[in-house]
Amino acid sequence: MKRVITSLVLTAVAIALIVGCKPAEKKAPAKEATIKIGHTVALTGSNATWGQAEANALLMIVEKLNAAGGVLGKKLEVIAYDNRADKLESVNVAKRLIEQDKVVAIIGPAQSGVANAIREVNNAAKVPVIGTTATNPKVTVADDGKVVPYTFRVCFIDPFQGTVAAQFAVRDLKAKTAAVLYDVGDDYSQFLGKYFIEAFTKGGGKITANEGFRSGELDFRAQLGKIKTGKPDVLFIPTMQKEAALAAKQARDLKIASTLIGGDGWASPDLIDLAGPAIEGAYFVNIAALEDPAIQDFIKEYKARFNADPVLPNPLMAYDAAIWIVDALKRAGTTDGEKLMKAMEETKDLQVLTGKLTVDPATHNPLNKPATIQQVKDKKFIYVKTFVTTD
Amino acid sequence: MLLQTIITGLSIGSVYALMAVGYSLVFSVLNFSNFAHGSIITLGAYIAWAVMVGFFSIPFFPALIISIAGAGVLAFLNERIAYSTLRRRRAPSLYLMISAMGVSICLQNLLYATIGAKLYALPAVFAQDTLSFGELTISKMDLFAFAFSAITIAILHLVLTKTKVGMAIRAASHDMEMVSVLGVNLDVLVAILFFIAGGLGGMAGVFMGVKYMVYPSMGWITNKAYIGAVIGGLGSLPGAIIGGLLLGLLEALVSIASIGNTSLSTYRDVFSFGILVIILIVRPTGLFGRNVEEKL
Repeated sequence: MKRVITSLVLTAVAIALIVGCKPAEKKAPAKEATIKIGHTVALTGSNATWGQAEANALLMIVEKLNAAGGVLGKKLEVIAYDNRADKLESVNVAKRLIEQDKVVAIIGPAQSGVANAIREVNNAAKVPVIGTTATNPKVTVADDGKVVPYTFRVCFIDPFQGTVAAQFAVRDLKAKTAAVLYDVGDDYSQFLGKYFIEAFTKGGGKITANEGFRSGELDFRAQLGKIKTGKPDVLFIPTMQKEAALAAKQARDLKIASTLIGGDGWASPDLIDLAGPAIEGAYFVNIAALEDPAIQDFIKEYKARFNADPVLPNPLMAYDAAIWIVDALKRAGTTDGEKLMKAMEETKDLQVLTGKLTVDPATHNPLNKPATIQQVKDKKFIYVKTFVTTD
Repeated sequence: MLLQTIITGLSIGSVYALMAVGYSLVFSVLNFSNFAHGSIITLGAYIAWAVMVGFFSIPFFPALIISIAGAGVLAFLNERIAYSTLRRRRAPSLYLMISAMGVSICLQNLLYATIGAKLYALPAVFAQDTLSFGELTISKMDLFAFAFSAITIAILHLVLTKTKVGMAIRAASHDMEMVSVLGVNLDVLVAILFFIAGGLGGMAGVFMGVKYMVYPSMGWITNKAYIGAVIGGLGSLPGAIIGGLLLGLLEALVSIASIGNTSLSTYRDVFSFGILVIILIVRPTGLFGRNVEEKL
């Protein structure tokens, strides 16, 4: 019985969604004089907080761009559909945007898996897609190592954070030696650790230990004991906040004095609650911080308009993506998919909200994207600096 | 470093041992692996969190007692609700084990649904948590947990060997029906057994909460404790303790070992589970489990 009710409810929701979307479709053909940008975004479900913020940010930037005269003599229009962060639904959304609304480009999705799901659709139709926070390397570079022609991203990729952490350790913390404690059962952790080691060694540093643990373990003291003998200047812990907190506590128990560094997996207030004084002074890499001076105007505007802090980092990424598309449209001089894609690929030193955007044509990833370094100080995350990597 | 690793191994092993005793106690009498034990341990830790941080701010020792009692009562209820009917119906022990798995998954998901996946920390018991001897550091909490567990297990041993209840439990581990024919109320006996096992679990949960953290799936670690119990011989009290300590030690030593340039730390579970398989092949009853005659 429960099943029947559930499926009835689901059907009702599905119908409501389809019906709910109709007006937007009807409205679309009426305004021939606009250039349409699609937005595939999770407006409901567990990712909705970020999705809503993304949609809000696009509203802001498109109004601004239109006030400045639009592009190619036309006004811009954003058409947003809810994909619920669901792969199947996203394919429907992508088809609707491309076939019915005839958008010139699509912003979103925020999830790597969803970006992969719509790859066939947008690439066949030659409509560029810009993933907002799809950080998995495979989103833009297929398994065969070739770039996916019409898929881009505006955020950094997972391995990039490892490079940022390493270069920050070498240049700002003047670290000569480092150790890594990573989770062998987790791709995120493994890649982050691997790229940290590569960049740290390239920067002239020495890795004293690279120790793994299995997902779910709680006690790392055996590994940390081994790490301690190398007396590393920094200890890189590319994990989520739970393991980071445990490792920090146990490292301090063993009297390891190294500076602790992590990635964006740390960015949860839980870290401070769980690790307490053990995590004080530690640094971590993040996509964006509310305190970043470069985005203060944006935050002020957003707050005034929507009466809430933007849920980072998605709105920033969507905002940047819109600037990117408009810039490429201007340079291409046309809305033709192939020419637009080429122009997007050739983007160089474009001023966007979070810094300067340069695209790598070989991977469709932004090059030398700035990352934010944050520190745990007095039981709070504080903004330290915006860090740009060099090769 | 070797000495430090041995200390670490013993400290992890003592937690395994404490949990393994709970498995062995139940197994010795009822002949099934009570996989709900992990959830009781988790709930014990949550009780401590609730009285120390969440709702009241009771100091550590009373909170420990409350958790032990609370987990004991929960284990008792668990038996009453999920196992007693099966037990009276003399269902095969496999059914009891499956029921235990059900309870375990049910309780864990109940925690996810009500309290959520948030991680909690229990406040530190000792302000300065470590003692240092040159390069060597020992956590005071580890020492305390070790001593407290040892004393508790010693008391348990005395209860089992010197009291009437203990004698009844030991007798029941040999032949439950005979004991019941001789006039022992089995329901009361099993209730006491589960209360003790649950209480030990609650204790282990609190120690884990202080040393690590409190979260719904923390009972996962009891898989390791269970392996410890099997290595030692399910149903044997000294076996559970030695099996647990041995496993903790082995894991810590494997973690620091390396072959050539490859560190073995990532192979830790390959070793612990591999050893389980080997021991079961060589000694199917574990190190100390000598058939049914010499349980407990």
